[in-house]
Amino acid sequence: MSVKVLSPVTGVLAPITEVPDPVFAQAMVGPGLAVHPELTAGDAVSPVDGTVVTLHPHAFVVATAEGPAVLVHLGIDTVKLKGEGFTLHVAKGDSVKAGQPVIGWDPKAIEDGGRSPICPVVALDATVENLVDMREPGPVEAGDTLFTWQR
Amino acid sequence: MADDRAAQIIAAIGGADNIIEIEPCITRLRCELEDGSKVDEAALKKIGAHGVIRAGSVVQIIVGPEADTIASDIEDLL
Repeated sequence: MSVKVLSPVTGVLAPITEVPDPVFAQAMVGPGLAVHPELTAGDAVSPVDGTVVTLHPHAFVVATAEGPAVLVHLGIDTVKLKGEGFTLHVAKGDSVKAGQPVIGWDPKAIEDGGRSPICPVVALDATVENLVDMREPGPVEAGDTLFTWQR
Repeated sequence: MADDRAAQIIAAIGGADNIIEIEPCITRLRCELEDGSKVDEAALKKIGAHGVIRAGSVVQIIVGPEADTIASDIEDLL
């Protein structure tokens, strides 16, 4: 089984160790990559085909039919915004296609509020060895493949 | 089983009386406590926490993607 995981946003791809939060930076919930988003309002898209199993205004998890689940977190400490500035385009339990808009948000507003808008993309409960063809850090478009999850 | 874990987490962070607020955030439980020093990190790890991050009276327990479910189980018990 292998699943291609796409970038949820346009921006600059970075190692997940650049995320200013130990849970993500130390891969406590799984390995992945992070995207410094372009500072313009837009939509975060689903990284995979699957079901939205967890949905918060500032983060979501999509589980694929094969089992692997991918977490996308929009900015750090954004739970404290209580949903302000985020627009949900789907509901929990919905089926989504890779590339389909999930949440509308404005990374610039997050940064202006003193928080990091960086987006960790995490392969939940995967190991580093499961992730292959990791894209090199640098500019990335929403919908570009970040890595392939094999197991 | 999940209820069990909720009860074990409550015990490991100093009991219901020590809890001011618990907020789930995707992969973690953010716990605001009366007394952060009552947290039993070893017990939390034993229950399956991936990590524990402490900052005074705020303790974050990294439980993985089931955080939402565990938090509501904990709230049911409080």
